[in-house]
Amino acid sequence: MNKQRVALEAIAALLILLFLYASVSKMLDFDRFIGEMNNQPFPNSWTPFLVWTVPSLEIAIALALMFERARMAALIASLVLMTLFTLYTGSVLLHFFSYIPCSCGGVIRKLSWPQHLVFNLFFVALSIIGIILQRKKFFTPIIINQKTFA
Amino acid sequence: MKKIKWTFMTLAIVLGIGGAFATAPRLPQDCQAATQYYYNGNYVLAGRLGIDYICVTPSAQVCTYYKVGSTYTPCMNGSYCTANCKTGNPAPKKAKN
Repeated sequence: MNKQRVALEAIAALLILLFLYASVSKMLDFDRFIGEMNNQPFPNSWTPFLVWTVPSLEIAIALALMFERARMAALIASLVLMTLFTLYTGSVLLHFFSYIPCSCGGVIRKLSWPQHLVFNLFFVALSIIGIILQRKKFFTPIIINQKTFA
Repeated sequence: MKKIKWTFMTLAIVLGIGGAFATAPRLPQDCQAATQYYYNGNYVLAGRLGIDYICVTPSAQVCTYYKVGSTYTPCMNGSYCTANCKTGNPAPKKAKN
C-alpha cells in the first residue's frame, strides 16, 4: 500500500516536472514559440489563443497535481492533454500534415518525431497509472465479515 | 508520507523551473527582437519569423544572425527555411491579410 502511495507521488512529481519545464521553456522563448505555432496546421488566427492557453493549462495542471483534492482532476487533464499531443504526433508521423516544426519547450524540441511519440506515450501511460493508483487510494476495499456485525 | 510527498514536489518544481532556465537560449534576450539576417554567402534580410521563414530544429546550423555594430552575430539555431523551401521541410504560412 505504501509502495503504491510512493509510486503515486513519484508519478505526480514527474508530471509536474514535465508541465513546469515545458511551460516555463515556452515562456522564456516566447517569440520562437509564437513563430512555431504559426507554422502548425491551424489557422494563424488561433495563435494568440493557443500561445497563452497551452502554457497556462500546463501550469494549472502542475499546480493542481500538488494538491490532494485536485489531483484526480489534474491526472485526468494530464491524460487528455498528453493524449491530444500524442494523437497530434501520430498524425505528423502518418504524414497527415506536411512536416511541422515542433512547438515544445526547451530540450524537448530537439527530439525527433518518433522519439516524441515514445516520450508522449510514456507520459500517457504514467497518467493512466496515476489515475488507477489515485482511485485505489480513495476506494480501498472494506472487508465485511461476520465479525463486523458481532 | 508527507515528507516523501514534499521532497518529490520540491524536486519536481526546482528541476522543472531550473531546467527550463538552464536550457533557455543564452543569447541576449533582445536578439530575436533585432532585425534578423540569414547567410547564403552574403547576409540577407531574413524577414518575419513564422511568416516569411522558420528555423527548423534540430540542426547544428545557425539559422539567423543579428547585427551588433558592424558584426553579424548568431541569433537562432536551426536550418533556415522559407516559403520557397524545396527540401521537404515545412513551408511557412503566408500572412493572411
